[in-house]
Amino acid sequence: MITSIARKEFAEIVRDGRFKWTAAIMVLLLLTAMLAGFQKYTTAMRIQQAAQAGTNQQWLDQGDKNPHSAAHYGNYAFKPAGPLSYFDNGISNYTGTAVFMEAHKQNFAIGRPASDQSAIARFGDLSGANILQLLLPLLIIFLGFTAFSGERESGTLRQVMSMGVTNRQLLWGKALGVGTAVMIVVLPCIVIGAIALSMAGSVDHAEGMGTRIAALSVAYLMYAGIFVFLTIAVSAMTKHARTTLMVLVGFWAFTGFLMPKAASEISKFTDPTPAFGKWMADMRAHQIRGIDGVPPFVKFAKYTKEVFKEYGVDTVADLPMYFVAVRLQKLEEYDYPVFDQHYGMIRDAYAAQRKVQDRLGLLAPTLPLRSISMALSGTDLIQHVKFMTDAETYRRNMVVKMNDYLSKAAVDLNATSSSSNYMRADEEVFAIVPPFVFEPPALNSMMAEHRNNFILLALWLAAAIGLAIFATNRISMERN
Amino acid sequence: MLKLIISHEARQIIRTGALWSILALLVAAIVFAAWAGGRSIDRQIEGAQAAEAFENGMRNHMRADTEKYEAQVLASGEEYQFAAVRHSPGSGPPQGTNAGAVGAETSLYVTLPPTGLAALSVGQSDIQLNYLPVSMATTLDITKNLELENPINLATGSFDIAFVVIFLLPIFILAMSYDLLSSEKERGTLAMILAHPISIRELMASKIISRAAIMLAVVLGFGIIALLTVGTGLDTADTWLRFGLWMVATLLYSAFWFALAVLVNVYGKNSAANGTVLAGIWLILVVIVPQLVSMFATTVYPTPSRMELTIAARNAQTEAEKNFMAKLDEYYYDHLEFVPEGKGKAMDFLTLSQANNNSIEKAIRPLYDGFQDQLNKQEELVQRFQYLSPAIMMQLALNEVSGTSADRYEFFLNQVYSFHDEWKEYFSTKFLQRYPLKPADYDNFPDFSYEEQPFSVVMARLVPSLLGMLILFLGVVLVPFIALRKYQVAAR
Repeated sequence: MITSIARKEFAEIVRDGRFKWTAAIMVLLLLTAMLAGFQKYTTAMRIQQAAQAGTNQQWLDQGDKNPHSAAHYGNYAFKPAGPLSYFDNGISNYTGTAVFMEAHKQNFAIGRPASDQSAIARFGDLSGANILQLLLPLLIIFLGFTAFSGERESGTLRQVMSMGVTNRQLLWGKALGVGTAVMIVVLPCIVIGAIALSMAGSVDHAEGMGTRIAALSVAYLMYAGIFVFLTIAVSAMTKHARTTLMVLVGFWAFTGFLMPKAASEISKFTDPTPAFGKWMADMRAHQIRGIDGVPPFVKFAKYTKEVFKEYGVDTVADLPMYFVAVRLQKLEEYDYPVFDQHYGMIRDAYAAQRKVQDRLGLLAPTLPLRSISMALSGTDLIQHVKFMTDAETYRRNMVVKMNDYLSKAAVDLNATSSSSNYMRADEEVFAIVPPFVFEPPALNSMMAEHRNNFILLALWLAAAIGLAIFATNRISMERN
Repeated sequence: MLKLIISHEARQIIRTGALWSILALLVAAIVFAAWAGGRSIDRQIEGAQAAEAFENGMRNHMRADTEKYEAQVLASGEEYQFAAVRHSPGSGPPQGTNAGAVGAETSLYVTLPPTGLAALSVGQSDIQLNYLPVSMATTLDITKNLELENPINLATGSFDIAFVVIFLLPIFILAMSYDLLSSEKERGTLAMILAHPISIRELMASKIISRAAIMLAVVLGFGIIALLTVGTGLDTADTWLRFGLWMVATLLYSAFWFALAVLVNVYGKNSAANGTVLAGIWLILVVIVPQLVSMFATTVYPTPSRMELTIAARNAQTEAEKNFMAKLDEYYYDHLEFVPEGKGKAMDFLTLSQANNNSIEKAIRPLYDGFQDQLNKQEELVQRFQYLSPAIMMQLALNEVSGTSADRYEFFLNQVYSFHDEWKEYFSTKFLQRYPLKPADYDNFPDFSYEEQPFSVVMARLVPSLLGMLILFLGVVLVPFIALRKYQVAAR
């Protein structure tokens, strides 16, 4: 019985001219979006790889100079695009793509693509993810909103029920019919996407591509399921097809457009991002007065005394290491906790905001899906934070290596105060700093981080099915 | 007769629960948006003030040192002297006497003040930094900073009043009017009404007028309330002029959506079909077309790569440095604090480092100018695509009116660049002359105040968008006006 109901529902949908149009538009958009995304992705990867190789070479070719000056010259870390960024570009347009790593300063990433694009870019990217998050639900609503209310209006619902069909059979039959129609639209795209993917797999050696795609498919299928059952539930509960449509379109606009923005504003309220000027002023003041209230130069004076005592000497000239280099490294290290605290503050605020927004997924299923999708595509905050952390670790190591080398190689400079007698290092010395390599966060940890989002989606799906069962159970001959 | 129908419609609308809830939602959205927009502007102002206070504090500290020194000199009868640059505290004349140290180590924050309407349309102001530190550093150092914001929030966009107007207002308008004729037809009341001496055009007009009146009263009323609560500069004509233009844009945009609802209604389909079509059109015009245009623009006219620019700029910088280094003790070039105190030489380092900064800037400037040229060309092309969607026109118009467009920011940047030159000139001249700065000189440092874009420029950028919307509206409204003659009154 269920299959014949499904067959009827499916046939009705597919024969409708509207279905053909919407399906065609959707497939076309999906393919266009994926193609354009893929083209952008390959270009971006090519440029990133060339730029990283270029800057590594520049580091070596910077010319003979004092190792500490070399640390000032520094190096760049260029961020690679996420492995599935052509499906979901996530926040990539709004994060910097290059970090300048230099002595004394921790820097933000610069080169945010959105800053170089027109205001139109703020409408968002037409990506595969966006289409599935926003267009797919509307397609489902369009295909399914008449499932019960349409039949009720035309009077066929009574007839069907008089044939002894149970409410349960009706529900699953209709869900199956609508679901199949949706799949007819979406499956070809997924297949084409997967083929394109396997052909292009060589661009990036991302971990667990198969797992990523499988988990993404599960998440999007759950999302589609939520809308299929919600549509059927609302259709069973409302008297007129036009009311069904109003309610469903209203919910769609709420979850897809209103809630993401509202959630973002709410999270900015609960966990405010400090304004740049305030944050910068606080950090600079903190650097000057010292993390523990002891200014760096006082700390260093104390340290100098300790070193003198340790080596049993009275003047710098007698020390077995170049003390200027030691001082540079010490000053560097006094700043570590200040950087950790202030940059950490921003990182924490962002993470807290993300959690708040994820939790608001209780009200809107688009929110957890969006988070999962970005994470698995490697274009979310976790990925970016890892990149920034890697760059900072690299920076500190680079500076330590240069200062260390200087402190050992220029011991004889302690005795002279002549500046013309300085130490010069060459390419061989610079080569002790290995090139920068970004290690994307492990897939396991990403999945663990988003466990709650999967749970939220499952809850939504369960609630939608429950509502559909409840609504169809209430349908009776007498009331129709 | 028209009046009667309008008042009848209005009464009907007022008694319909669904419409009240739609209006209540709209009002809630406006209030929320005003709150959020206000917070966003407050945050910018707070950031600018904190940064300014810090830098002024640094400078005042230097000034206080020179005051102490001046008193000491006056008491002892010594000569008021110039101090070489050094970073560790010591005795002798303070750093505040050195114009090079003051001009290079402290910055003056220059601010782009928000217009009165900035809180209504956050626009591009969340990805620009509206206060920049001007010092003797290169222009690139000055403009490299970004306002801090969670990239998730930037990607999502602000829930400001512009969002309510562009995204939500059409939904409310369509929800109110998707079944204008179809519902009467389905209930069978349409034929009855038209039996009275009233034409279907008049009926349609009265239905639209009553709904538009209610909707616009809400938008205008709450728009003014929003302006009064989160707007600034309410005593200036500029703010009210901008608000007037804002309302004109909103009016045109709303008119378009009402006309669209009428257009769909005249084709005589049932309410559900009308709803489907209208929801689809909304999606296409407000979401898909803007995203397609954006995708098209960035694919066909890709933005030049920042990464490639960085590499090229660095090559130029390395070249400039290498030539310079031949004559320089580069180590001390990076660490002025280790320059031994003495005559002549120590001072050369700041001179040379400034000279080096200049040579780097000269070497990389053409690269950045070329990059900016390319960006501007792309921007121009993108601007032409705006006519494909009223939502794009509306967004560009509202950003322009609210002074949160990229265009106004560039106008500000150009003023910042010339002020930067002025600042460098002032301090480097004094420094090269070894002129010892006195406390009184601190009052005469160059100061910045933003000169607003002439209104004609704003209008010139605004008019195409407004005209585009007007033409679109006229096009949409003309079709149903003609087609209504053939409307099938009774259901077949």
